[in-house]
Amino acid sequence: MNALDGHLHLRAVRATDGSTALSSQSFCAPFHLSKPNWDPDAEVLHVQVVNPTAGILEGDRLESSITVDTGAALLVTTPSASRLFRMTEGGHATGRQHFAVARDATLEVFLEPIVPHRGSTYFQETTIDAAEGSTLLFIDQLMPGRLAHGEAWSWDRLVLGLTVRRAGELIMRERFDQTGASLRSLAEFSGTGPGSCFANIVLLPATDEVTPAWRAEVTSLHRDGVWLGVSRLRTIGWCIRIISPDPIRLRDTLANLRSTLRLSYPRLGCGLRRP
Amino acid sequence: MNLAPATSTDTGWLLGLLQASDSLYPTGSYAHSFGLEGMIDAGAVRDRATLRAFLLNSVLPSLRNVDLPLSAHAWEAFGARDWFAVAEVCVLASALRAPRELRSAAEAIGRQRAELLANVHESELAREFLRRAGEGSWPHCTAVSAALEARVHGAPLAAVLAAVCYASVAGVIAAATKLLRLGQNAAQSLLTEMVSLCPAMVGPACELPLDEIGWFNPWLDAASARHETANARLFIS
Repeated sequence: MNALDGHLHLRAVRATDGSTALSSQSFCAPFHLSKPNWDPDAEVLHVQVVNPTAGILEGDRLESSITVDTGAALLVTTPSASRLFRMTEGGHATGRQHFAVARDATLEVFLEPIVPHRGSTYFQETTIDAAEGSTLLFIDQLMPGRLAHGEAWSWDRLVLGLTVRRAGELIMRERFDQTGASLRSLAEFSGTGPGSCFANIVLLPATDEVTPAWRAEVTSLHRDGVWLGVSRLRTIGWCIRIISPDPIRLRDTLANLRSTLRLSYPRLGCGLRRP
Repeated sequence: MNLAPATSTDTGWLLGLLQASDSLYPTGSYAHSFGLEGMIDAGAVRDRATLRAFLLNSVLPSLRNVDLPLSAHAWEAFGARDWFAVAEVCVLASALRAPRELRSAAEAIGRQRAELLANVHESELAREFLRRAGEGSWPHCTAVSAALEARVHGAPLAAVLAAVCYASVAGVIAAATKLLRLGQNAAQSLLTEMVSLCPAMVGPACELPLDEIGWFNPWLDAASARHETANARLFIS
């Protein structure tokens, strides 16, 4: 097996003209970086992290760290889903990702979904360190499998850890540790169907808002079979959970969510240059 | 960790745990459904069969992966008077519950239980915990207070984890009897089945490292978040 030890390190800074630039970048396969695109309307630098290989294979160890310095604004996206391929018994892949946002900086991370194939095992640990006065939107997605091939809930084990600290204080910790079979049981019981897809969203605004203007509009996206809940994290920030019966409704809900948030936070939810 | 069976003839700790688990004990837990009302509003829990599925697929995994190991770590920390570790468990317990209602329920009940230990049982350990928690703004939670009760009453770890299981499952089923057409015998048979599964969860929960604690049900979290702003509701959570 040709396993990869891949890394990606990025630092975004505020340039002298007020725009955002990458002051340092380092990456190796399977990570690759597209040419950054400055959005002058939103005043955000858009970076696409590309995996030019087929996906994540057994033994792969991926590590990324992205830092946004004071005054900078960065949007990180991936152009396509992260496929986790079948692994041998006991085999697995690992990913560690760290995001740091400084005061008066903005970071949006909008990753295309993880698609776990039959027999895959993946351990991913995500850490977010947000300074006081920073703005962060983190969007993570999970598909039940290769729905177009009729394959769902067939992975062996997924462990997705998320730690969020603001000003050094732990405000959110979650650990999703599920076999495909156990999550299928929950999906069947909850009634969202065999194609249930998930998005997990963390929003940390620069200043505390107990009743933000966007909440009612975002809450109203709970419709047409989509489950959506908005709740306040301890001390500051918001957690939004979305469960959709299919990928299309999830994509539409996320698009509406980003559009709504953009009205309150102009540097979040900017254009993705997608048709 | 002390998982040895309780062989002592001293039953003081048992009476303490029984009192803490009794519906007479004013913890305020009767006012919470722990997410069940939201799941009923969402149409996922409708009857005995779907309640059973909720208990098996959501309540028990959460106990196994969150509350029991949190209590075990807190029990160790209280035993060693390691207040740094106690604080760490308190903050982690709060951070692990993203939906505000579920977090607030755990913290309100946890605070009340710690205060009862200090005021009713006149426990110096509970008073010191409350003083330090107040000074350090540590969040309270039921898992930590259960461990505190165990230390105050001298209960072994396995016994207190069993009590945590019982109280959690019984709390959800008690709420279910008010929200669903569920008779007393049906409720007791469900409680019996769920409690029978709990002893097997105690050992693994004691071995779980702090950084591996965590579990969540995305549907429960979404339903609980929606329950916060529901127009009509019987329970606080």
